[in-house]
Amino acid sequence: MSTIAETAPRDQARRRARVDGWRWGGRVFLVVMLLYTALPMIWMLLTSIKSGFAAMQFPPQWWPDEPTLASYQKLLDPQNSVGQDFLRFFWNSLFVSTVTTILSVIVAVPAAYAFSRFSFPGRNFLFFAVLLRNMFPAVIFLVPLFILMRLLGLVNTPYSLVLTYLTFGLPLSIWLLKGFFDNIPIQLEQAARIDGATRFQAFIMIVMPLSTPGIIATAIYSFIGAWNEYIYAYTFLNKNDQLTLPVGIQRFFSENTTDFPGLMAASFMMSVPVVVLFLVLQKYFVRALTEGAVKH
Amino acid sequence: MAQVTLSDVNKAYGSTYAVNAVSLTVEHGEFVALVGPSGCGKTTTLNLIAGLIPLSSGEITIGDRVVTDLDPKDRDIAMVFQNYALYPQKSVYKNLAFPLQMRKLPKDEIDKKVRAAAAVLDITHLLERRPRELSGGQQQRVALGRALVRDPAVFLMDEPLSNLDAKLRVQMRSEIKRFHHNLDATIIYVTHDQLEAVTMADKMAVMNGGLLQQYDTPANVFAKPINTFVASFVGSPAMSLIPVEAVAKGGETVLKGAGGWELPLSAVNQRKAQRSTSGKIVLGARHSTLQLHRTASPGAVPGKVYTVEPTGDVTFAQIFVDDAVVNISLDPSVIIQPDEPVWIEFDQDRMHLFDGETTMALEAA
Repeated sequence: MSTIAETAPRDQARRRARVDGWRWGGRVFLVVMLLYTALPMIWMLLTSIKSGFAAMQFPPQWWPDEPTLASYQKLLDPQNSVGQDFLRFFWNSLFVSTVTTILSVIVAVPAAYAFSRFSFPGRNFLFFAVLLRNMFPAVIFLVPLFILMRLLGLVNTPYSLVLTYLTFGLPLSIWLLKGFFDNIPIQLEQAARIDGATRFQAFIMIVMPLSTPGIIATAIYSFIGAWNEYIYAYTFLNKNDQLTLPVGIQRFFSENTTDFPGLMAASFMMSVPVVVLFLVLQKYFVRALTEGAVKH
Repeated sequence: MAQVTLSDVNKAYGSTYAVNAVSLTVEHGEFVALVGPSGCGKTTTLNLIAGLIPLSSGEITIGDRVVTDLDPKDRDIAMVFQNYALYPQKSVYKNLAFPLQMRKLPKDEIDKKVRAAAAVLDITHLLERRPRELSGGQQQRVALGRALVRDPAVFLMDEPLSNLDAKLRVQMRSEIKRFHHNLDATIIYVTHDQLEAVTMADKMAVMNGGLLQQYDTPANVFAKPINTFVASFVGSPAMSLIPVEAVAKGGETVLKGAGGWELPLSAVNQRKAQRSTSGKIVLGARHSTLQLHRTASPGAVPGKVYTVEPTGDVTFAQIFVDDAVVNISLDPSVIIQPDEPVWIEFDQDRMHLFDGETTMALEAA
């Protein structure tokens, strides 16, 4: 008895020390990661409220002497040409991304469900074939897809991008959603079908609500992918009034002198929809990535 | 009146038959247990009756309707699943209401029926909870409630008790039996536990390898197993089976063990033994029909004690006769030791003889 009583607390203390060591290491790591990801954003924000002159100073002004919202006013003012362009690009991006997202959910949900629930000839082959596209760098398909889009008469229309982003986003969406459907016990659907639902009703009323986190995660993934894509948008669209934000913002560079505060303000506003989406749907997204399942 | 009939029902996956030429009739109000080891086709059979998977061939009728090609929702059945399959996003109330909503009943009628079912199963206080907030036994009741709320023609139950702990299982066993009695319901119940089948069912259908082995009352299945599989599957501890040979000796037929011992037979048993064309026979006996002797005695075969398991009111012993294990139950006052030589006497009226080749029970005829 006495030996146990003597050794136990010391043992515990040592174990706690080790746990604390790991915990502190983890915290330091998180802080480093936080700075690494947040500092560029903060710098972007700070630059966006400087004057053009202050942004170019060296050594840099860590904190703007005369903060100004002039860049934002310029970008959001439909009266001047910069504002007109920016708002049009913004709208184009929103349109392409939203249509891509909606279509990708409409296609991915039934496709993933079919892969998850039905057995049909060539199921495994098809499932991996879906992934084939992702095994190559996206640029490889640039020229072939451009030729294809020209044949289809879609060059210089947003639909060329919608189609392209769909083919890029769908594989992962289908994989992600299939994982979700796999984790929903098939007995739930069977119960619903016995309770009086058709197969489709069972899917809509029982399976869909349970896989909402997965569907939302998939939608966010598609949206962000489409929202940020640059190289295809740059290749497929030439007309100024068709450009999406990533390409449009790049225009700020190509003019004679780079308007850094303007560029940063535009970049910041471009990240707003993504951040808002993320914050609003964050709890679903995190649940989707960590859990990916319905508990019973 | 909901009689369920399966006629020559087959379900094939490629060239393997999960369910092979099964025919059986469940009368109205009967409690039938489909029982067998894992993979014997019992759950597949239930899913075929439910319409969750299509038949390869055959016909199923419920009541006077052929339902072979009907959707599950049109078969007027209810099902209780092994994992309960409660809708996790719905409250207990909505789980119970779901089958009624799907049948487009008016709201007040749904409410009345849900509350009635909840009262029967004593789950009224749980109606607002989510399934994950319930214990296993409570989830089980809700699953039963969802089945009975609709007053279906047939209840299908797929191992409903196997996720419960031992004590709760015994309690729910009697509750389901009571449920059957009160509702006068037709129930088809799948289980791998022969004890559940024997204790609850009016009739049991023993399946193995997709084939229906025997379909009869538990008492008959227990007393007259049709082959060695049924004999060894039903009853606990299992029936002891000893491979022997029928040999002629002085105008009589006797059984000869691998170890050289001989067992004389009664006239009836001799006639049975003679029907084995190969002469190979499996001798079967239940633990309670055997007598233990500590010295050699006529009509007893020699063996050696392997293990002794006292349970309090009865002691079970496993005894090796040649290479076969024989289970025997003893009065707790009998003390025997492992490796002790013993002799076992068979009850000629209650022993079973099976054909060693076909495994079928031999009849005196």
